[in-house]
This record gives sequence, C-alpha cells and structure tokens, in this order.
Amino acid sequence: MSRFDDTLRCEEVLDLLEPYLDGDLPPDEAAQAAAHLERCPACAGELDLATAVQRELRALPQHDCPPEVLQKIHSAGAGEVVPFRSRLAGWPVRLSLAAAVLALTVGGAAFFLQQRQDGPSPAEIAQATEEARFALAYIGKVSRKASLGLRDDVLRRRLVAPATRSLAQTLEDIPGNEVPVRDTAGQP
Amino acid sequence: MRKTITFAVLLWLSFAILTAAPATAQKLEAQPGYVPIHELGIFPRERLSAEINLSGPLLRMIAGASRSDDPEFAALLSGLQAIQVQVFPLAATDEAAVKGRIGNAVRWLEDRGWAPTVRVREGGEEVYIYLKEAEGRIVGMTLMSLTSGDEAAVINIVGRIDPEQLSRLGEELDLPHLDRVPDKDNKDNQDKKP
Repeated sequence: MSRFDDTLRCEEVLDLLEPYLDGDLPPDEAAQAAAHLERCPACAGELDLATAVQRELRALPQHDCPPEVLQKIHSAGAGEVVPFRSRLAGWPVRLSLAAAVLALTVGGAAFFLQQRQDGPSPAEIAQATEEARFALAYIGKVSRKASLGLRDDVLRRRLVAPATRSLAQTLEDIPGNEVPVRDTAGQP
Repeated sequence: MRKTITFAVLLWLSFAILTAAPATAQKLEAQPGYVPIHELGIFPRERLSAEINLSGPLLRMIAGASRSDDPEFAALLSGLQAIQVQVFPLAATDEAAVKGRIGNAVRWLEDRGWAPTVRVREGGEEVYIYLKEAEGRIVGMTLMSLTSGDEAAVINIVGRIDPEQLSRLGEELDLPHLDRVPDKDNKDNQDKKP
C-alpha cells in the first residue's frame, strides 16, 4: 500500500517535500504527492517556500576547498569521525584555567615582591640566630639562678608537671598513638 | 557541576594566596602566649641595652639554617612563633620604680591566666617565670628578672614550648652566647617581622 492515499495527512506530505522537490520519490508516490498539493493550498504554499529556498541556495557562489587543505584533512582524519563540540561546552574549563593562571601569576608576583621586600639576608639570619641563642642563654642563666632557691617538689609541680601534660596532649594528638604518659604532678 | 566547583576552588585559592601574608602578620598578637611587652612599658625603650624581636618566618629560617649544626636548637625554634627580649641596665636607675613596673606586669599576666612557675625574691634577685597553657599545651613563656645594681630583663617566648628542652639548651648556651649581647643600636636588626 502506498503512503499516499485519500486519507493522507498534511504532516506526512510536508515530510516528503524535500525528496519530492529533488525528484527522489518513486513515480507513483510523486504523482500522489502532486495530487495532494493541488488540492491543499497550505501544503502548496510550503512547496513554494521550499522551492524558493532551494533556488536561492543554488544561486550562492561556489568555492572550492584548496587542495592542500583537502590533503591535510585526508591525511589527518583517515576516515575517522570526530564528534563536534560546541564552543560553549568548554567554557567552565577555560575559565578555570584562566583563573588558575591568574592566581599563580598574581600570587607568585606577590610572594616574590614580599620576599624581595622583607626577606632577610644571610647576614641578618646569622645575626638573628645569635639573638635567639642569646635569649635562650639568658633564660638558662636566670633559671639557674632561680633554681638555687627552689625545692625539688616545687620545681616538679610547677615546671615538670605542665611540661608532662603538654607532652601527653601532643602524643594524644598523633593518630594511632596510644602511649600512656604518666602525670608526675605532685609526686615527691 | 564538577567544573563549577573547580572554578570556585581556584578562585578561593587565588584569594587565599593574596591574603595569606597579612593574615599571618595579624596572627601573632592573637596568640595566647603573646605578651605585648612594648605596650606594657616595663622599661623605657630608649635606654634598653638589648632588644630582640624575632617572629615566625625568621625563626623558621634560623631553624632551617641551624638544622645540620644544632638539631635540638633547630627543633626548639621550629615550634616557636616569636621571641621578644628587653634588657635594661639598672645602673643609676630608680630600682624601686622598675620593681613596681615588673610587679604590674606580673599582675597583668596573672589576670590573663598565666601560671606562675618560678617566683624568687631573695636578696637583690627577683625572678618570675610564667607559663601559659592552652588546650593542655604550653604555648607561651614569660620571664622577668632583676638583679640589683646590674640589670633587669623581660623575655617572652611564643609558641610550642618544651621547658625541659628550653632549660637544657639555655644551660648549654650560657657562657658562649651571653658575651655576645646583640647591638641594640643597630636598627637594621630591630623589630624583624617579615
């Protein structure tokens, strides 16, 4: 049974307008389509529009692709079909990369400038080392003087106990470490 | 969605990089072990014989430079965030006034939860050592001393402190390094806060 009969709807005729216009339909189907178009002004109007578009397209100038480009396409593609990606599809990636480059550039420049501005020279580090050693030496001297007047139990309660608690807390914070630390506070 | 999160993370990173340095600088004053010894005005700054202000980044550089020669010294410094020292000569000075200001500083510390570890007042010697604990750890030490007719000093150490290690290092360093009092007038070496 042919697709074109008396009950043929306009939507089905419109689907076949292009092959009808190009002369690709079998003769009997083309005849039935022509009969429908003669008695249906709406489909005939669509046919006129399609005919005009086809005429305008064919009137456009034809440009041949340069042979070297064709050669490159053939050699690169080798028949492989590469899916087309929309330009908009990758904008978050490009924006992310741009942000990363911006962050590294600005951050790096800021770090470099800060280092140049505030970074101590080797001589300053050597001087600072002497200062730190001086501070510790001063603490050692004063502590030694002070300990002459202190009893052992006072030292243990005031100095050893806080240090032990601090050490225990530090050890507890180490993952997987369950080494018990005895609190010596108050012991004689 | 994943790309949007990546984008947000990158933007946040760029912001963090740009704001990291000022944030680090602000942190020291907020540390529980920090004592604003300049603001307390224990000694007149213009008459100090020695003044030291070393803060975190410089201390870490010193630690890095000392690691091979003196690992224990380096380990101690790597946990610190600041060392502040003021040494004040008492010759031709009203010692009673200095003792009064040290007493005020002692009350300031005790009001803020510092625990007295050593308090010695014997003859012409006064020594006060206070420790600050936070979350079970020692995070600050302040030492104030006065030797009548000689000098007075205040030292504040901010950061993770092991008093035993500190004491041991102090004893080892006593004789060779107390002779080399830093040149207080060399302004290039004052107030180092990189």
